[in-house]
Amino acid sequence: MTELQKRIDDKGLTDVEVKSYMCFGACQEGPNIVLYPEKNWYAKVKVEDLDEITEHLAGGPHVQRLDTIDSSLKELIYQLLDTGVM
Amino acid sequence: MEGILFPHGVPEGRESLSAYRSRGGYEALGKALQASPEELIKIVSDAGLRGRGGAGFPTGKKWQFTREAPEQPRYLIVNGGEDEPGSKKDRVLLENLPHLVLEGAILGAYAIGATKIYLYINAQYDAATQSINDAIAEAKNAGYLGKNILGRGFDLDIEVTAAPHNYVAGEDTAVIEVIEGKKAWPRQKPPFPVTVGLFGKPTLVNNVETLANVAPIALRGADWYGKFGTTESSGTMIFSLNDDVNRPGVYELPFGTPLRYLIEECGGGMKNGKKIKAIMPAAPSSAFLPADKIDTPLDPNSMRDAGSALGCGVVRLIPKGTCIVEEVLKISEFFTAESCGQCPACRMETSTLTMMLKKVQAGQGGQPILEQFGKILAFNKGKGFCSLIGMPGPPIESALKLFPADFAAHLTTGNCPEN
Repeated sequence: MTELQKRIDDKGLTDVEVKSYMCFGACQEGPNIVLYPEKNWYAKVKVEDLDEITEHLAGGPHVQRLDTIDSSLKELIYQLLDTGVM
Repeated sequence: MEGILFPHGVPEGRESLSAYRSRGGYEALGKALQASPEELIKIVSDAGLRGRGGAGFPTGKKWQFTREAPEQPRYLIVNGGEDEPGSKKDRVLLENLPHLVLEGAILGAYAIGATKIYLYINAQYDAATQSINDAIAEAKNAGYLGKNILGRGFDLDIEVTAAPHNYVAGEDTAVIEVIEGKKAWPRQKPPFPVTVGLFGKPTLVNNVETLANVAPIALRGADWYGKFGTTESSGTMIFSLNDDVNRPGVYELPFGTPLRYLIEECGGGMKNGKKIKAIMPAAPSSAFLPADKIDTPLDPNSMRDAGSALGCGVVRLIPKGTCIVEEVLKISEFFTAESCGQCPACRMETSTLTMMLKKVQAGQGGQPILEQFGKILAFNKGKGFCSLIGMPGPPIESALKLFPADFAAHLTTGNCPEN
């Protein structure tokens, strides 16, 4: 999280907040990063992936290779986030 | 009403070996050892005995599977973990009728061809552990345990293990893990313990109450046993009542007895003359029933038809004036705390449900939050290694269905309608 925050600060992305969340039910696929409200979920993230994720946050391309989570789980968690439950 | 386990009511104090023998104790063992293990399995199957730990699996079938498993040696585990909140039947049996339990376990071991029994007893049950240890010593002296039992060439070892006091520690594969010296985490099934159990060998895990039924069945026969209960559910069951009634305690009743009889005749009705708002026939994991279901017969099929379950017979009554949102929140918090955490789906489900209920309680989230409960439960159905993941569902979904006004009041005012 510290590494991600550092990259976001370096990039000057002032409208991005990094925070830890409760269990999304995919810890076996972790570390997980969910970009919300735009709804992108990156799984098994390594420190070396963070530059690409930060690029994505700055308007760059979607990191397809990290988008491996089952779509039904993603949908459930996004709904919970939309409802304000999480 | 005559009982099978408590023929003269719940015994006061511990039954000695001589007292047990004076009413036919260990005669079933003598009789069974004269016949084949297969014959014993047939009697138990014909009697229709089902597991009393909550799942209700046919005991004879489980015995048969274990006996047919090719690996050797085989083990029998007596599950007295009893961590179901409010359940006290196994403690009473172990403490007051240790020889009834022990004879049943010895018979079970003979039936499956086990060489060793492990008695897994809730670590908080000091008196029960003492009682069973004394019974083991008495039984060994009398030739019912050890080498060449009753001169029939049957050898059987026995050991007592303390069960940790947490909910999943009573799950059969978690029991096996604990006896193997590991933490109480359920295993993924299959393989089932009957084929790959303790130390990788075929293992029969039976609840204390289940085994307590075996000696009476073996002695008096399947037809006699079938006179108790209903056609589909023969025998009796021990029900636990707690502080919500005037006479808390354990009560043995034939299957099919109306729930009202248990509550009013046995329990003396609700404490302080309160009226019933809801009934939980198998606390804490069963669906709530409305008060007008009080005449539902106490048997698994009738309870299922009524929309709930019988479980291991801990009957809880929710008095009028209780907020159901608060009740299900407590239940959900229990399952969140008791989830062992090894299955991500269970961790997510239990923690999310609790967080959602807290939001409802605080009046946050509005009506859309209520729609998420069913989705979370459906998504996680059957995903964990053990059954805990399925346990918060029935109480939460039945509460939403039966008492929508309680939820609506919380969401609109943030306050409990019953306060």
